[in-house]
Amino acid sequence: MSKRKTTQRINSLILNLFIIALGVGMLYPILWLIGASFKPSNQIFTQASIFPKTFTLDNYVAGWKGIGIVGFGTFFKNSFVICIISAFANAIFCSITAYAFARLQFKGKNIWFAIMMLTLMLPSHVTTIPRYIMFRRVGWINTFLPIVVPKFFATDAFFIFLLVQFIRGLPKDIDESAIIDGCSKFGVYSRILMPLTVPALITTLLFSFLWTWDDFFNQLLYLTSPHKYTVPMGLRLFLDSSGISFWGPMFAMSVLSLIPAFILFFSLQKYFVRGIATTGIKG
Amino acid sequence: MKNTLLVLLLAILSVSFVFGAGTKEDAAASGTTTIRWAYWGSGQRVEISQKAIDLYQSRHPNIKVNPEVSGGAGDHFVKVDTQLAGGDGPDIIQVGGNIPDYADVLLDIFPFDGKAINLSVIDPSAIDSGTIAGRLVGISTGVNMPALVYNKSMVERIGAPLPKITMNYDEFKDYLRVLKSKLPAGVYPMQDIGVLSSNSTPFGYWTRYNGTPLYDASDKSTAVRPQDAQRYLELFDGYRKEGLIPPADIAAGYAENNADTSMVIAGKAVIGFIWTNQLSGYQAATTDELDFIEMPGAAETNALWQPPSQFYAVNKDSKNIEETVKFIDFLVNDPEAAFILGSDRGTPASSTARSAGSAFAADQKVINYMNVAGPHSSAETDHVPNDTEFNSTLYLIYQRVAFGQITPAQGGQQIYELLLRLIGK
Amino acid sequence: MKNLRRKRVLLDNLSSYAFLAPWLIGFFLLTLYPMFYSLYLSFTKFNIRTPPQWIGWSNYLVMFKGTETLPRDDRFVNSMMVTFKYVFTSVPLKLVFALIVAMLMNKKLKLIPLYRALYYIPTLLGGSVAIAVLWRRLFAADGLLNMILNSVFGLENLPAWISNPQYALSTLVVLGVWQFGSPMIIFLAGLQQIPREYYEASSVDGAGPIRQFFAITLPSLSPIIFFNFVMQMISAFQSFTQAFIVSGGSGGPLDSTMFYSLYLYIKGFGFSEMGYAAAMAWILLIIIASLTAISFRASGTLVSYGSGE
Repeated sequence: MSKRKTTQRINSLILNLFIIALGVGMLYPILWLIGASFKPSNQIFTQASIFPKTFTLDNYVAGWKGIGIVGFGTFFKNSFVICIISAFANAIFCSITAYAFARLQFKGKNIWFAIMMLTLMLPSHVTTIPRYIMFRRVGWINTFLPIVVPKFFATDAFFIFLLVQFIRGLPKDIDESAIIDGCSKFGVYSRILMPLTVPALITTLLFSFLWTWDDFFNQLLYLTSPHKYTVPMGLRLFLDSSGISFWGPMFAMSVLSLIPAFILFFSLQKYFVRGIATTGIKG
Repeated sequence: MKNTLLVLLLAILSVSFVFGAGTKEDAAASGTTTIRWAYWGSGQRVEISQKAIDLYQSRHPNIKVNPEVSGGAGDHFVKVDTQLAGGDGPDIIQVGGNIPDYADVLLDIFPFDGKAINLSVIDPSAIDSGTIAGRLVGISTGVNMPALVYNKSMVERIGAPLPKITMNYDEFKDYLRVLKSKLPAGVYPMQDIGVLSSNSTPFGYWTRYNGTPLYDASDKSTAVRPQDAQRYLELFDGYRKEGLIPPADIAAGYAENNADTSMVIAGKAVIGFIWTNQLSGYQAATTDELDFIEMPGAAETNALWQPPSQFYAVNKDSKNIEETVKFIDFLVNDPEAAFILGSDRGTPASSTARSAGSAFAADQKVINYMNVAGPHSSAETDHVPNDTEFNSTLYLIYQRVAFGQITPAQGGQQIYELLLRLIGK
Repeated sequence: MKNLRRKRVLLDNLSSYAFLAPWLIGFFLLTLYPMFYSLYLSFTKFNIRTPPQWIGWSNYLVMFKGTETLPRDDRFVNSMMVTFKYVFTSVPLKLVFALIVAMLMNKKLKLIPLYRALYYIPTLLGGSVAIAVLWRRLFAADGLLNMILNSVFGLENLPAWISNPQYALSTLVVLGVWQFGSPMIIFLAGLQQIPREYYEASSVDGAGPIRQFFAITLPSLSPIIFFNFVMQMISAFQSFTQAFIVSGGSGGPLDSTMFYSLYLYIKGFGFSEMGYAAAMAWILLIIIASLTAISFRASGTLVSYGSGE
């Protein structure tokens, strides 16, 4: 009996070590980044090792101040506002759309569904310039609106698809018994199905948040005053093509920008692994 | 039916909430005039620009200047272009040599002379450079000159003689050979200037030296022929073969001409190419001492030139034209502002600004250089239209030769065809 | 009687459509209309400062053949080849890594949640500008990789990976594969759905781990592998940020990292040829649509997608 347990323990240990070794190899660039953020600026490129010879917090202090007029406090706030609103808008409106496709009957449903799936393949470039022209016609340049409002119209087909598959996995009789009890369509959606769809909803929330955070191109296009800049744009401000770049502070702020995403990911893991698992993507 | 309404109501409520969040911040306080100033730069330039803004705002409490900074000129123009297309352009637009491309959206400042702005203290050549078709569409931020920068401390360390500031091409090559004999492996006498992202400038210099300027706007022609471009490519090919400049793949790793990806700052090359206004930025990035020498052959041919570094230009559709012009007058002519700004955007073209001196020590070297190189200059050549594409494609052709994909003869032919195509575009 | 029923069906349809309304409005306003407008733009010369000028098929001709006045755009063809090379090397490699790591992450170890988050970090870094610096540190002539190859393996005369036209693209492939987080999560979810009994039953029958992998794991995962493949392929074709920051916006050296999207951006926003950029966008759409259709055809029996109930 104990022999098997010991073998198990040893196997576990080896596995852990292997994962850690592989992880360190893979994470080396990140470890270097973190180390560099604590090194004084003039040692970053001359000192090869990860561990700073002289440990300093200067980069974080200087980096937080941003480029003088606007600091990273503002950049983080802007990023959070955009990402949180987008995430919730996506969760609400993609799930409403998914409900329609998964549970409701109406004429033309199949055609609309096929079209929705086709939009998954659409490269964003095809709509960028016309959308820009439209948004400036209504005066939305330099606001968060062009980035956030599309989410209220369920333009992210990926999440609609995810939610449709998930809802399909829920048995239809719970709908039916609710309807017999006099529940409205919206009631079935909000009170019966959505509570059961939580894992998929959390998946939608998390990935909407992460992908919006990283959507540099749209932020670059629509946010023109530094007070509206987001974290990725703030980071770019540290680079300049005709003078010095502030590497130290840039690294420090890059490290900081990883933290919210990491925390979110780590804490919500069990939900979205389940969320994707039960979508029955396998058919 | 009730549910449908509920869904729609939810949608409308959310949209209006976001709408409110977006536009609330834009409600400007009444009574204050806001000027939007779009420029590019980071670090030092942003700090000193902000200091100048704070000074102006303290003198004029009812004016607020909002800087809109982009990291690099590339991003800046992309942003400004899209803003202009949307009728939402900033009040002050910083432009560079590409000012002709923007002439029709810029304000003519001549009518404001003596009222909102004092043009009489500004050098006539600076006024000329900002005048297109009789309209003064940009005020020079200062004068700049192309130069070769060299690492004085490194030269002293290896026991080589310091370079003469003025040399011809033969003397220059000999000097490079002297450097090479004393330098360790992996360090080169000169950076490969042709692979810089701003490579059209050294090429422009060489065509002037060669007596075949790049472009003449009056008859839309170029004096450059394939054989000329070929000689340029062969010159650098020769340097490369002798090891006076690095091999192509190493050079390509230092292509962005900014202080961090500069081979000179990295200690891998002694001589590099910069504009004079970049000196203080470069000097701050290294503990070695830097100084200038002229491009070779400048004295014989007066092939150097003193272009305006950048221009302060006013958006024709600005809602605060008078205040904007006044602010530009401050930036360009006010002694206190000039002291703060130094020669970060060029050595001032205004006599009142120059007499104020500068907060930066490196600027003295710039003045010394200009005293020697100034007389070796002549009127600037017109800029090739479609500047961005010229830089990008010239760079590509040069690299093809550097990597041995095509011969200098073929490269020369391609450069010629490129010029013709861009002129005709 | 019939009229009442028809009315009820109509009302029913209407209220269902209410749920579809947000998506429908979004589709017409933000997707379909812009698509047609950009299709129109692709037949024009448009520099965004002045109104578009109709030039017919010129943009498309320049891409593939050249017209009487303009030569063929070799950089366009090059950008297509670079992108194809990138897609068909990075996507398979990425999926392989994602699957291997997902299998590791499926083990029951105490620290697994932490490990999963850690392995996802490279993906979190996304298109951060810090990546440009990191990648140069790793792959420059005097970068970390060469230092290791030299000191540990004694190799000499190593190329400057990131600035050599032969190898620069490979550094971007490595970057793409390094950020395998998303497909990994999806594979992980898929693996967790495979009933344990399959594995238990087969080991009773004497099957080893390798045999189990090919007989159980792969077949069960095949729809997910397909899904990941298609999604990653579509995304890889649109890849922009990483090439943009690592090459400093140049697509160099020698256009060896000039991704299709990067060239589109340079043409549209750098050289102010928006009409051309719109044409490029449409060609990209056609390519992606065709490849996706081919993929679906090829997978035939494996996958059971469908909109119907």
